[in-house]
Formats: sequence, structure tokens, C-alpha cells
Amino acid sequence: MRKKSRIWLLLVLPGVFFVVFFMLIPLFSLCFGSFYGEAGFTLSNYFKLFGDRYFQQVFVRSLRLSLLSTAVCAVLGFPTAYYISKYSRHKGMMMAFAVFPMFTSPVIRSFSWMVILGKKGIVNSFLVSIGLFAKPQSLLYNEFSMTVGFVQLFLPQMILSLIGVMDNIPDDLTLAAGNLGATKLRSFFHVIFPLSISGLVTGSVLVFTGCMTAYTTPQLLGGTDTRVLSTMIYQYAMSLRDWTQASVVAVVMIVVTMAVSSAFNSLSRRINPMA
Amino acid sequence: MALLELQNITAGYDKNIILKDFSLQVERGEFVSLLGSSGCGKTTTLRLIAGFSEPMEGKMLFDGRDYTHVPLHKRNFGFVFQSYALFPHMTVFDNVAFGLKMRKVDRQTIEKEVMHILEVVDLRGFENRLPREMSGGQRQRVALARALVIKPDLLLFDEPLSNLDAKLRVKMRVEIRRLQQELGFTAIYVTHDQEECFAISDKVAIMNGGVIEQMGTPSDIYNNPQTEFIARFVGFENFFELTRTGEGRFKTEAGQEVAVTRDRVGERFKGCIRPEDVLIAPAGENVPGGIPGEVMVSTFLGRHNQLNVRTPIGEFVVSTDEHHAFGIGSAVTLSMMSNKVNLID
Repeated sequence: MRKKSRIWLLLVLPGVFFVVFFMLIPLFSLCFGSFYGEAGFTLSNYFKLFGDRYFQQVFVRSLRLSLLSTAVCAVLGFPTAYYISKYSRHKGMMMAFAVFPMFTSPVIRSFSWMVILGKKGIVNSFLVSIGLFAKPQSLLYNEFSMTVGFVQLFLPQMILSLIGVMDNIPDDLTLAAGNLGATKLRSFFHVIFPLSISGLVTGSVLVFTGCMTAYTTPQLLGGTDTRVLSTMIYQYAMSLRDWTQASVVAVVMIVVTMAVSSAFNSLSRRINPMA
Repeated sequence: MALLELQNITAGYDKNIILKDFSLQVERGEFVSLLGSSGCGKTTTLRLIAGFSEPMEGKMLFDGRDYTHVPLHKRNFGFVFQSYALFPHMTVFDNVAFGLKMRKVDRQTIEKEVMHILEVVDLRGFENRLPREMSGGQRQRVALARALVIKPDLLLFDEPLSNLDAKLRVKMRVEIRRLQQELGFTAIYVTHDQEECFAISDKVAIMNGGVIEQMGTPSDIYNNPQTEFIARFVGFENFFELTRTGEGRFKTEAGQEVAVTRDRVGERFKGCIRPEDVLIAPAGENVPGGIPGEVMVSTFLGRHNQLNVRTPIGEFVVSTDEHHAFGIGSAVTLSMMSNKVNLID
């Protein structure tokens, strides 16, 4: 038994090596760097950053956009996933459609949105032609276009996580609820929804983390007035050559992402003790 | 008038017809079992009654009212699932209370009713457990309590005991029968277990290929099966042609006279008898109505030996307590015990 477990250890080694050398060590050095000033350990980098009005704006915008995109993905994804999982006759095909956007690069998708949302794009032509607006509106390089980009980028992840969980809810449970007198709507809220929470949380964590860390989409669909944390890191590191400040922003981003993810988790445990 | 009546129901999925021109009547207070092998349509019938699916053709009457298109949540029927279908995220209390909550019963009454029914199924003290923290038998009782607490007009059981071990199965079926006699509910019970269904029901309907082959009391079906399918199902293994010679008396193709359990109108029938009702003796002994034969196979089955005997009217399966008396190839004489021959179509 002891010998066997050593062999298993050997098998785990390459993976552990990779994670330690290419992720944990850089991460710790990044973290360490952010607390390092001219006089050794210091929190001054953080005080400086949080005192900065510009950073405050970016920080709040990042959070707001990510949370909003997550909420939109949840609202759009839930009924879609429910339909595909429980009612669709061509499940494989529907899943393929839902996942299809994941096969194109975010760069190409962002450029497509530029074409669609641009001053001469189809959305503007339509809005003008039905007389809603006299002049084409600016739909690009603002928070609206970024949210649209995020939602399209991450909706498949939400749908997939939800389908995974919903597929595991036996049909007998909804029948039992109906048999006990619940209408379709009530059995949805009492049975399907609480049992799907774990999928909703997984999906939300994926979408939120994705939105917080995405770089291409906010860079291409956001303007100079709508920086988010990830584009800010790039700005500090590459344009301003301020690596300390860049790592401070990175650490803040990691901490916020982890905090919000665990908040999602504890929220779900309150609704469904099983999850 | 029957409480529940299915009239000429046709049901199935797409082109796969499972029930064809199916009819069934259940009286108030009766415990009726649907017995049959898998794929015979028994579960389809039960789900149709519950309202989980609608028939393609035919009508369902309940208490004189047309229930064919009444949605499932408006039928006050309890359903006990094979999988129990307990809500995994709810405690035992909330599971049992669910039906009452849907009926907008006030809180105090819910509390009282749930605790009472948990007492009845002997689960008091478990109300704050989650289903996954309970054993199979306990979950089964939660499912039963959840179905009982709404005081259903009809209780439907879909193989509720098939996931339990043999000992618990016997205990639970006694329990279900006791509850039914105590509370007096009308029940339809689906199973493929013959012993279980005979033990628990007032009436048994044996299904085969989407139709009811025979419906009657357990003893009626056990002693007087009407078709070869049912006869085989309840343990008849020997089948032979019979021609009438008098009232209640018939003769085989080889001329032996036999008396039948229950006479029917007609001249020619198929007769059948159970292995244990055939007597075997060494050849040469003078047995009235004896059928000569030769032992082909002898199988040791513990309490008795099973012999396959070749006779002029077909192969007979016979069971005997005498383990070594009849070797393979030995000549024997068979005789059928009086009044143990049953007529089938």
C-alpha cells in the first residue's frame, strides 16, 4: 500500500511542478512586490492607489460591469439552459449552438461588435430608420458595448454550468411537485431553482472572474474613458513602466475576484444546503 | 359506481403504442395491484392516472367526473415513486409539508398534520433530517407520509419497495397494508413481484402486452388462472389438451380421466397443473388414470427434486421429495391429484 502511494505521488509531480513554478511562485513574487517599497515592507502602495480618484473610478467600474454582465448572463442563461435541459428534442444541436461563440477568438468577436454597433452599423441604421433617433447614437467605446461584449463572451459558460446541474435533476421531482399540487411555476421556484443554484453559482463565478480579468474585450470595445482593472494593469506596466503599481492593481483584482466568488458560494448555501 | 374508471385508453409515445383499448375499474376503498413484467404498460397506466401524461384516445372518469384532461396538480392523488423522488434540498418536515403548503393550509395546521403523519409512519424525531441522511427504508416512509398527508382521493404506488432489501420489503408491505386498512384509502399498486402483490391487494390485475389478461382476487388468480401466460406466471408448468367426458370431468389425449378445479362452458380446453400436484410412482404400480413416462432430467432443488418426465401427452415437470428414488431413464407412472387441474383458454 505504501509503495503504491509513492508511485501515485510520482504521477502527480509534473503537474505540481508546473503549477508551483509557473503559477504559485510568480504569484507570490507579484504579491511580495506589491508590499515592497524603498524602506522594505510597506502598505503605502495600497494607500496611494486607493487614494487615487482615477483608480477608484476604474475599480468601481470594473466591479459594476462584471456584476452587471454576470446578472445579465444569469437572466438570459437560466431559461435557455432550462429549455435545453428539460424540453429540447435536439439537445446536442442546441448545446452546439449555445457553445458556438466559444469557437471564435475574442478579438474577432470584438471586431464584429464594432461593425454591428458602429455609427453605420445595423443597430444604428435600424434605430434611425424606425425614427427612434434622428442621428446615429454612439453605441461603441462605452460601458454598454463592453457589457454586450462580456455577455456574448461568457454566456456559454453560464449556460453550460446550468445545463450540467439541471440534467442531474430527476424529472420525477417536478412530477412529484405537480402531484402534490404545485403549478408549473411553483414547482419551478420550489424545486428546479433551488436545485440549480450550484450551477448558477459555478456559472456566475466563471462569468464574473472572466469579466474581471478579460483584457481584449474591454480594450477593443471600451474607450479611453472606460478603463477597467485589466486594461489599467497594462497601462501601468507597459505605458507607464510602473511595475509596482501594476502588481498592486493585480493583487487587488485577485482579492476582489476571490471575495466575490466566495460570496456567491455562501449565498447559494443559504438557499440550498445541499449545494 | 366505480370510483375510478379508465375507458378504452390508448397511450404511448410517438409511434410506440403501449396501451391499446385499455379499460380498468377500481372501486372505492379497494387495494388494486397491477402486476406484470417490465414493458407491459403497468407504469404507463399509473402515470396516466396520476396525470403525468395524457392518453391519445379514451377517457378517464373519477367519481363520475371526466378527469382525462384535468392537470396533474389539480388531481388530489398521492403518488409514491420508485425513486421516492424526495426533494433533496428540503428536510423531512418540508418534504412532507410540501403538499399542504401548495394547498395554502395555515402554518399551525401544517405543523400538526405533518407531525401526526410522521408519527403514523414511525418517523417522529427525524423531521429535521435531509433525505440523504436517511436509509432507504426511512426515505420510503417519508415518501409515504408525503403522499398520505394530503389525504389523497387515490393513492398510487409505482414499485415503491423495489429498491429495498428483501427483509425490509416484507416489513414495509405489511406496513402499507396496515395503513390502508386503518385509513381506508383507495390504492393502485404497480409491481412485478407476484408474492408482494398477492400479499398486499384486494384485487390483482395481471397485465401483458398493454392489456389486462385477468383481474380478480389473489386466490382466484392463484388457483384459477385463465390464460397460459398467467398460469405460467403463478407456477403452472404442465400443459396438455383436454376433452370433456362429463360434468367437471375431462380426458387427456391418451385417455386418462381427470377432474378439474372449476368447470367452464365448452368442450375442448387446455389443462394445466403445478409440478407439486403431480404424483409420481415407479412403473408397474397400479395407479388409476396413470400416465406412463420416462425420467429425462433430474434437478436437485434443495427441499425437493424436480424431474422432467417424457409422457405420451407431452413433457411433464414433477417435483418429488424422494431424492434418489427415480434415476435418469427410469420408467415411472404419473397421476394428477384430484381437483388440481385448471382449465385455460
